[in-house]
Amino acid sequence: MMWVVVGLVAFILLKAGGARALVPSKLQSLAELLVDFIRGIIHDTMGASGMRYFPLISALFLFILFSNLVGLIPGSYTITSQIIVTGVFAVGVYLLSLIVGFQLHGAKFLGILVPPGTPGWLLPLMIPIELISQIARPISLAVRLFANMTAGHVILGVLFGLTIAGGLLIGWLPFSFTIALYGLEVGIAFIQAYIFTVLTCVYIGDAMHLH
Amino acid sequence: MPQFDSHFFSSLIFWELLSFGILLWVLYKYALPPILETLETRERKIRESLDQAEQNRLAAERKLKEYDAKLQVAAKEVETILAEAKQQAQRLLDENEQRLRAESQRIKEETTQDIERERRKAIQDIKTQSAELALMIAEKVIGRSLSDDDHRRYAEEALAAVAAQSKN
Repeated sequence: MMWVVVGLVAFILLKAGGARALVPSKLQSLAELLVDFIRGIIHDTMGASGMRYFPLISALFLFILFSNLVGLIPGSYTITSQIIVTGVFAVGVYLLSLIVGFQLHGAKFLGILVPPGTPGWLLPLMIPIELISQIARPISLAVRLFANMTAGHVILGVLFGLTIAGGLLIGWLPFSFTIALYGLEVGIAFIQAYIFTVLTCVYIGDAMHLH
Repeated sequence: MPQFDSHFFSSLIFWELLSFGILLWVLYKYALPPILETLETRERKIRESLDQAEQNRLAAERKLKEYDAKLQVAAKEVETILAEAKQQAQRLLDENEQRLRAESQRIKEETTQDIERERRKAIQDIKTQSAELALMIAEKVIGRSLSDDDHRRYAEEALAAVAAQSKN
C-alpha cells in the first residue's frame, strides 16, 4: 500500500512537473495547488528560510495525505492508522527539529526549556513542565493522526456491520450514515495531513528561531 | 488492536522509511524543481504583465493629457482665426459699402451735371434761334417797302417759318 501511495504521488507530481505549461492543465493545476499550498504553510510558519525543508515537508504532507485518501478506498488499507507509522514520522520530525536547533544555536537551544520572562525561582518548576511539553510533542503528533484515522475507520466499520446486520428493512439507516461519514472522512484526511504538516513546520520553525 | 501488535513494527518501520525515502528522493530530484520553477515563472510573468499594464495605463493617461492640451490649444487657435476672419469680413463689407456709396454719389452728381448742361444748352439754342428768326424778319422788313398786305403776308410767313422751325 505504501508503494501505491509513493507511485501515485510521484506520478502526479512528475507528470505535472514535466508539463511546465504557463497555462496549466488540470493535473498540473492540482499539483501546483498542492505545491503552492505547502509553500504557503512553510512561509507562514518558518519564513522564507524554511524553504530549505520544502522537499521534506512536501514529501511528508503528500505521503500522509495520499495515505489517508487511498485508505478511504474500500478494500484498501490505511497506513496512517498504524501507530508505528505515524510514530516514526512524528519522532523523525521531532528529532530533526532538535538537530536543527542544536546545529543552529548550540547549547543555547536548551533555552527553549525556559520561556522568556520566567523568574529564576520558578526555573525548577518550569523546566520539568517544558520538558514534558517537549516530550509530548512527538507523542501527540503521532497519536493525533493515528487516532483520527483509526477512529474514522472503526466508525465506518461499525456502521457497515450494522447495515449488513439490519438487512433491507432497517439497514438503510446506518448505510446513509456511512455515506455522510465518508464525506467527513475525506475532510478529515485533508485536515489531519494539514495539521501534521503545520505542526512539523512549527516545531522546525521554533528550532530555527529561538524566542 | 492489531495496531499495537509489535510483531509488525520492524517491517512496517523498514518499509515506511524505504518508501518515504524513495518518495523524498523522487520529489527532491525530479518532481518539485520544475513545478516550483513553473510557479515562480508564472508569478514573475504575472507581476511583469501587471507592471507592464500599469506602465501602459500611465503612458496612455499621459498621452491623453497631451492630446487634451493640444486640443485646447487648437480650439483657441480656431477661435482666434474665426474672430480674425469675422473682423476681416466686416472690414471688407464696410469698405465695399463705402465704395459703392461713393460711386453711386459720383454717378448721381455726374448725371445731375449732365442734365444741367443739356438744359442750359437747350435754352441757349432756343435763344440763338429766336435771334436768328428776328434777324431774318428784320431783313425782310428792311429790304422792301411794304404794303399792308405785304406786312400781313410776311408776318404770316415768318410765323409759319417759326412754326416749322419749332416743329423741327
